Amino acid sequence: MIEEIRNKAKELLETKTVDCVIGYEPATDNLTSRPVFIYEPSQVNRLIFDETCVHNLSKYLINRRYKPTGIVAKPCDTRGINLLLNEKQLRRENLFIIGVVCSGIRKVRFNQIENSMPTKCQYCSQHTPVIYDFLVGEPVTEAPTHNYSDITEIENMSPAQRKAFWSEHFDRCIRCYGCRQVCAGCYCYECFGDELDPLWVGIRIAPGENWVWNTVRAFHLSARCIACGECEHICPVNIPLMLVNRKLEKDTLHLFDFEPGIDTEIVPPFATYKKEDKLGTGE
Amino acid sequence: MAVSHEPRIVGFLCNWCSYAGADLAGTSRITYPANIRIIRVPCSGRVDPLFVVKSFQLGADGVLIAGCHPGDCHYTEGNYHTRRRFALLRPFLDYLGIDQERFRLEWVSASEGKKFSEVVADFTETLKRIGPREI
Repeated sequence: MIEEIRNKAKELLETKTVDCVIGYEPATDNLTSRPVFIYEPSQVNRLIFDETCVHNLSKYLINRRYKPTGIVAKPCDTRGINLLLNEKQLRRENLFIIGVVCSGIRKVRFNQIENSMPTKCQYCSQHTPVIYDFLVGEPVTEAPTHNYSDITEIENMSPAQRKAFWSEHFDRCIRCYGCRQVCAGCYCYECFGDELDPLWVGIRIAPGENWVWNTVRAFHLSARCIACGECEHICPVNIPLMLVNRKLEKDTLHLFDFEPGIDTEIVPPFATYKKEDKLGTGE
Repeated sequence: MAVSHEPRIVGFLCNWCSYAGADLAGTSRITYPANIRIIRVPCSGRVDPLFVVKSFQLGADGVLIAGCHPGDCHYTEGNYHTRRRFALLRPFLDYLGIDQERFRLEWVSASEGKKFSEVVADFTETLKRIGPREI
């Protein structure tokens, strides 16, 4: 598997199909992996792929949109690429996608690879990349299924319990905006969280400011979140952000029968409307 | 001893229909509860979900979005977009701890002064029943 990726990357760089291949290399702790940008064919042996390759590299493509780039992508990352292509942020002709079949990555805690998987993988059934030029591994033929048992659990709580549940989590937020920085869908030049006039998200420490940030961040990604789980992975205070994102994913699927990042051409639900929409409200 | 609770409603009214409808309610001397604070917006499609979230954060007990009936939008399609956004935002806010009943979308045309007063009266009644929102 790793050899296949290295050979392909070498071929791409030698034939000058791309200037750069974005992939993973071992991190300095000899345990996890980190993103790497390979420019020289002689360097391709740095590339690896294993169950610690958690990062979604599609975010890096935004800054390289005009330069031919190769990328090693897991299924969830290919959905990110699809999202960016759909929103006209990337050029397909400048991309070479080395898709990797993935059956889930592992959590790393206290310098040990754990046996459990992060939330995104527990509920993921998309094991084959949705878009690729070169595929590594055997494609999985089973159709992806949806499992929202974790969301239903919270939906079934009483309103008071739910409120307590979220205030407990959001009160921890330090508004580092890491969830935004790492998100492939967050590429606005000026985020509403950075605006000073009007000051949508206040700089004071007061109830509700964290709530505003987390609510609106998630809503800006409604029908766009590709469930790569990077926001939850990066969060320094362990807010279960996938529970927020997946609620919107569930409702979008239910209301509009839409899944982000599956297709590059389909018009997303908030960019269009139907006169005969039956959404259970305002008909 | 319980002090009666006067809910505060933030109402985003579209300039072309609902604001004119509210105006008609006024000029026709129709009474409606003074609990609503009206913000005039060019179209119900102008109401960013951020405005709604911000209103709730700053202590609103309820948020009302009112616009032209489907098909009557001054900008042809603004209210269809509002409808889609609202359909997703309402259950989402409910999920994050804001009761569904505190957030409403209503279609009020320029000739429906009576309907506007009924909507506000009914919404105020509902909010009084649920009681104040804990922040």
